[in-house]
Amino acid sequence: MADELLVLRCRLGEREALAELVRAWHAPVWTYVRGMLDAARADDVAQEVWLAVLRGLPRLKEPARFAPWLFTIARRAVADHLREEYRRAETAATPELGEQAPGEQADVVDVVEALVERAELLAALSGLPVTEREILVLFYLEDLSIEDCAEVCAIPSGTVKSRLNRARRLLREQLAEKGYSR
Amino acid sequence: MTPEPNGPKKPDEPWLSAEEMIGRLSGVLSPWQRIRGAVALLAGVAGAVFIGSLWATEPGPLPVGTRLAFAGLAVFCLAWAGYGGWLVTRRVPLFAADQVYAGRLALVASTLTMALTVALTVQRGTGVLAAVLLGALFVALAATLTVRAHRTRAALLRRRRELLDQRATGDRTS
Repeated sequence: MADELLVLRCRLGEREALAELVRAWHAPVWTYVRGMLDAARADDVAQEVWLAVLRGLPRLKEPARFAPWLFTIARRAVADHLREEYRRAETAATPELGEQAPGEQADVVDVVEALVERAELLAALSGLPVTEREILVLFYLEDLSIEDCAEVCAIPSGTVKSRLNRARRLLREQLAEKGYSR
Repeated sequence: MTPEPNGPKKPDEPWLSAEEMIGRLSGVLSPWQRIRGAVALLAGVAGAVFIGSLWATEPGPLPVGTRLAFAGLAVFCLAWAGYGGWLVTRRVPLFAADQVYAGRLALVASTLTMALTVALTVQRGTGVLAAVLLGALFVALAATLTVRAHRTRAALLRRRRELLDQRATGDRTS
């Protein structure tokens, strides 16, 4: 109810409510974005998310369903960035390594390193595939329900559950490989 | 690029504080910044309609220089209208209160423009019907938008009251 009231006040155009909304959701938005992208980009992408959220707020049909709506927007912004960066990485990696000058090889290595760094995420989640990582971030770090995760990711609830199971299993295997044990 | 904050950056905490993020969003959070798109749109459309009426009701053929001046002014007004329309539809949100202000502004602007163009056409004795019809269309459109904005705001205010009442009841019972 607190969220719905705050969102209603925002839709009315109360400046203080808008600032309060940003204060309340700044950390969750950043955590999600940081979970999916490297730290250097997280602030800028979080700002893009906020701009899209504030621009879309007058059209939000159900203020009580603010959280899934917010993360749907965040997910779209992150997906756009990942697409753009993978495209850039592919373009940079197109020439064969053997034909490149040492400087160019270093550039490609930088791109790979950047991608690897991006994949690091939060320490415990590093190495998981994007879809599994995302579902863990939404479910555990953002505390969204199965239904809300399904809405954000545009997949059925059953798929969220199976993806969560798979993500937990992968995480357990990763931790076991790194020498962690229960 | 993200500015360097004070102290070392931690990888798992936001580098920008919530207040810094609010500062970055000031263009969207400021009511004037939001309403200026509507002002530009209205001023541009009103100006273009008025210039167009002046031009269309000029008695006799005009010299090339005067025609160019009219065209230049009309393009200038339309450019402002385009900029305002782009701001309103793509860049800044209009919240319920903003929509009410924008609707009232539109109503005032369209009524004034209609009065001016009708007075002009009556004085020149040509195009009165077209001016009345076009003016009435703009006024009706502005009135519709204003009524809709008032209804939207009233519905939101009603729901806000309900939620505040529920909260107050909850506080009393707990």
